[in-house]
Amino acid sequence: METYRIEDLVFSFPGQERETLSHINLTIASGEFITLCGKSGCGKSTLLRQLKTILTPHGERSGRIYFCGQPIEDMDQRTQASEIGFVLQNPDNQIVTDKVWHELAFGLESLGYDNATIRLRVAEMASFFGIHTWFHKSVTELSGGQKQLLNLASIMAMHPSVLILDEPTSQLDPIAASDFLETVKKINRELGTTIIMTEHRLEDILPLSDRLIVMEAGAIIAQGLPNQVGASLGDKKHPMFLSMPSPMQIQARVSAEPIAPITVKEGRQWLNAFLADKTAAPMPEGKENSKASAPAVIQFKDVWFKYEKNGTDIIKDLSFEVREGQFYCIVGGNGTGKSTTLSLISGLLQPYRGKILIGGKNPAKISAKELFTRNIGFLPQNPQSLFVKKTVELDLHEMLAQTPLSKEEKAEKIRSIVKFAELEHLLAMHPYDLSGGEQQRAALAKVLLLEPRVLLLDEPTKGLDSFFKEKLAVFLQKLNESGVTIVMVSHDVEFCAKYGELCSMFFDGSIITTNETRKFFAGNSFYTTAANRMARHIWTEGVTIEGVIELCLRSK
Amino acid sequence: MKDRFASFHPLVNFVYFASILVFSMVFMHPVLQAASLTSAVVYSIMLNGKKAVKFNLLYMLPLLLVAAVLNPVFNHAGVTILFYLKNGNPITLESILYGISAACMYVTVIVWFSCYNAVMTSDKFIYLFGKIMPALSLIFSMVLRFVPRYLAQIKVISNAQKCIGRDVTQGNLLARARNGMTILSIMTTWALENAIETADSMKSRGYGLPGRTSFSLFRFDARDQSVMLVLIGLIALVLFGALMGENTIRFFPSVKWLAVTPRSIAVYIAYFGLCMVPVIINVVEDMKWKRIESRI
Repeated sequence: METYRIEDLVFSFPGQERETLSHINLTIASGEFITLCGKSGCGKSTLLRQLKTILTPHGERSGRIYFCGQPIEDMDQRTQASEIGFVLQNPDNQIVTDKVWHELAFGLESLGYDNATIRLRVAEMASFFGIHTWFHKSVTELSGGQKQLLNLASIMAMHPSVLILDEPTSQLDPIAASDFLETVKKINRELGTTIIMTEHRLEDILPLSDRLIVMEAGAIIAQGLPNQVGASLGDKKHPMFLSMPSPMQIQARVSAEPIAPITVKEGRQWLNAFLADKTAAPMPEGKENSKASAPAVIQFKDVWFKYEKNGTDIIKDLSFEVREGQFYCIVGGNGTGKSTTLSLISGLLQPYRGKILIGGKNPAKISAKELFTRNIGFLPQNPQSLFVKKTVELDLHEMLAQTPLSKEEKAEKIRSIVKFAELEHLLAMHPYDLSGGEQQRAALAKVLLLEPRVLLLDEPTKGLDSFFKEKLAVFLQKLNESGVTIVMVSHDVEFCAKYGELCSMFFDGSIITTNETRKFFAGNSFYTTAANRMARHIWTEGVTIEGVIELCLRSK
Repeated sequence: MKDRFASFHPLVNFVYFASILVFSMVFMHPVLQAASLTSAVVYSIMLNGKKAVKFNLLYMLPLLLVAAVLNPVFNHAGVTILFYLKNGNPITLESILYGISAACMYVTVIVWFSCYNAVMTSDKFIYLFGKIMPALSLIFSMVLRFVPRYLAQIKVISNAQKCIGRDVTQGNLLARARNGMTILSIMTTWALENAIETADSMKSRGYGLPGRTSFSLFRFDARDQSVMLVLIGLIALVLFGALMGENTIRFFPSVKWLAVTPRSIAVYIAYFGLCMVPVIINVVEDMKWKRIESRI
């Protein structure tokens, strides 16, 4: 039986010539697990929103969509609300009420069920999702992962036959994300619910999917079993291939067989077979770290921090140094104090014991002007909180409003920043209308106008797809080469491994270990990149995809 | 300790507190006042422990004394003149008694409100009024969700602005005012932008369909029924007493109340019983538990 049948769907937004969706034909069988991927702005979300009429944006539409054989326009709102579940990106925005139990009941209240039915359904869902332990809590007490799980549960309480998820894990940390995906998998496997999902994090989700659909510029360019699609993208050297799991990328570049391993396990098996009649190439010597003798710009000496007098210590006995020109990454789990450390560096918070020196001075003692102009730049986790004006251009000008520069000098400065961050075509837009990656770049440009010597980044890759990540990395490397010291806090192990120079592992309020990136990841066996997990039994220091590919190619 | 009365249905809690608060304000009869004040103090200590003792002794006792002393200084009505003040105004027994009585009433109501706050949490209140107006209960719930959320977001924005030297705590007075306005303006944009997704989430879960119901975790069970019956019975007795004039007292020009008869004693007992309902429930449940525990 089919859940959806889409016939020749064309959609364009009002006033736009370009077709956002062009001639989509798709049949989705009941119980299928479908993953939809593609660059940001390729029309994935627009396509998903066509599948539930109440969320469909205004615009020109032609073609037909059938839900269980019935045209979707003919379905009444009540059936759609209960039959088609829709989970959105931001966990916080979707929660409407103040208590977990009330949120679970929200949809059922709307559908007008009586108390006894709601009680049963809510109890069932709470048990299925393991929510019963925090059933009575306020939603503000929940973590991001719990919030998204709650959103999922409150939709599942209405017993939908199809579940549509629009990048549900983009705002979650890796552990919470894989928990969430496990639950989605459980729903698909144990309840037979059809799943249609868009996702950037393909490593975790491809092993679960029945079908992978790749979109580009509003059209479906490939679909089929994940490894078949992966292999065909690899053959065409399509840019989307860079979002595929590491084992698949390594295999495709090393050998021509159409195997396309998806998981680390499959990757390992392939690698062992590949190297069976070869001798593994030796690791190349790593180059010595030349910046180790540069002067320290950030120094922490036995720093302790807590939020309240009787609260627990967030930062415990933390000591580390960042030297000029380094690209320093801090990785570690949620709530270990990584972001707090950045706030301490920028003087937003102050330690109750120990010393922090920024360029030899205490950040809490120097004036904000001295600290934040030509000294420290901080890009917060949510770039939206930096924008203040109607357009990107005005926003950049606002940054220089209080400086004593002449009009021409300001214009010149902004021109060069705009060119650097590639914002030319976005200048007239409202900052909130930009995509995640563009917002990140505009915010970065804003911070860069203050000409920081040290740039602090809090989760800069959150919610970005692999293309925007790549772009961001290019900017960061350019900045780093021009002498800017970069300190980055991130969950994104792959990103840190590829671009970082030094890495630190943060745990329980302190740094456990710091090392040069390659050695750092070689020393971890679990908290490391997929490429490393796949190849570490042969090359412990093969950390990045490129590194492992090179080693494979050199093996004779 | 955990209050057992709070675990009853919100309607039981509400009927109890509504009647007690009204009665304590209206009935000035000394016996009833004493009953109400004692129960209020005992229950508040049961609920809030040491904090309540401190509150009662440190704030309520002085308040009671001050109010009792101040009334006769300004109020000179009454027939029993005790002595004259220097300016020639009389101090009367009636005005002293009235002062004590009014102060007692005042303190009693405040202490009852401290109990009310501990027992009637926001979700119980929302539930009760949601029964009358379902839309209102959702609005309450959303307010409780979004106010803390917006406050947290203002903090995030303020921190982000601080790092580019644009916070309300930075610069001269004019710059601070301007920065404050900017932060509020970002906050508004942010709230409107994010509200779109909230609206999508609500619509997608069928909000706006006719026939919305209001779910709650509360159930009116047999235990609630029996306590409710007891409450109604006692309230009826007290109201009967009020009708007969048993519960009131006249202060001016001279103090006068009805003579004590078996009927009035019955009303006194009913009133005291009503005031002590939560305390009795707590004590009985406690004893029951101890007995069960000793058998394990």
